[in-house]
Amino acid sequence: MKSMTIIVREDSYDKILTPLAFAYLQASEGVQVDMLFVNWAVLALTEKGAKNIKVQGEYADRDQWVREQVAKAGIPNDIYTLIKAIKETGCVNFYACSLAATIFGVDTDSLIPEAEGIIGASWFLNEKADKADYNQTF
Amino acid sequence: MNRSDIKITESLDTSGKCCPMPMVDSNKAIKKLQGGEVLEIIATDPATQGDIPSWCERTGNELLLAEEMDKTFKYYVRKS
Repeated sequence: MKSMTIIVREDSYDKILTPLAFAYLQASEGVQVDMLFVNWAVLALTEKGAKNIKVQGEYADRDQWVREQVAKAGIPNDIYTLIKAIKETGCVNFYACSLAATIFGVDTDSLIPEAEGIIGASWFLNEKADKADYNQTF
Repeated sequence: MNRSDIKITESLDTSGKCCPMPMVDSNKAIKKLQGGEVLEIIATDPATQGDIPSWCERTGNELLLAEEMDKTFKYYVRKS
């Protein structure tokens, strides 16, 4: 595999970990990974949003416990720290979906520097997803 | 190949860590080696039993030896 795309729509802490872990894993091997953050997950590409990500729903009361387990596994348990570590591989691009950015109030100025920018789904689907070896959605 | 036949260049201890970190760290470590040098990977994540042979096959690095003792796994990988 030389390239893959990942569309991330879930922003609960436990649910966003998996696509980030997969990206980290593949990028560490030199696979080009392009990630599109849609829906509420677009907030993960802002510093404030990344810090506010928590385990939600049925397991919300176990947020701290999950973070402790993640740290024990050797993974940075702060989402922004993890994004920075993934970016350091040099093989991952983080994109914010323009629709999600509009709906959830994210502009270019609020994006973390690790993000490439706000892009349209058409460009991502045609220029990245269609040309990638593999596509995943979380 | 026996363990005594292997000259280790670098050792990486991933004990306690689990997927994806043993592979992330292994990729980082092997990049620092020259072709022919050997990386020893120590792991406690049983998933490495599948991940590391598959990684070697994919990358062309050679898995010289894999050992298990008391739930600790050791892999000796020669960089291609």
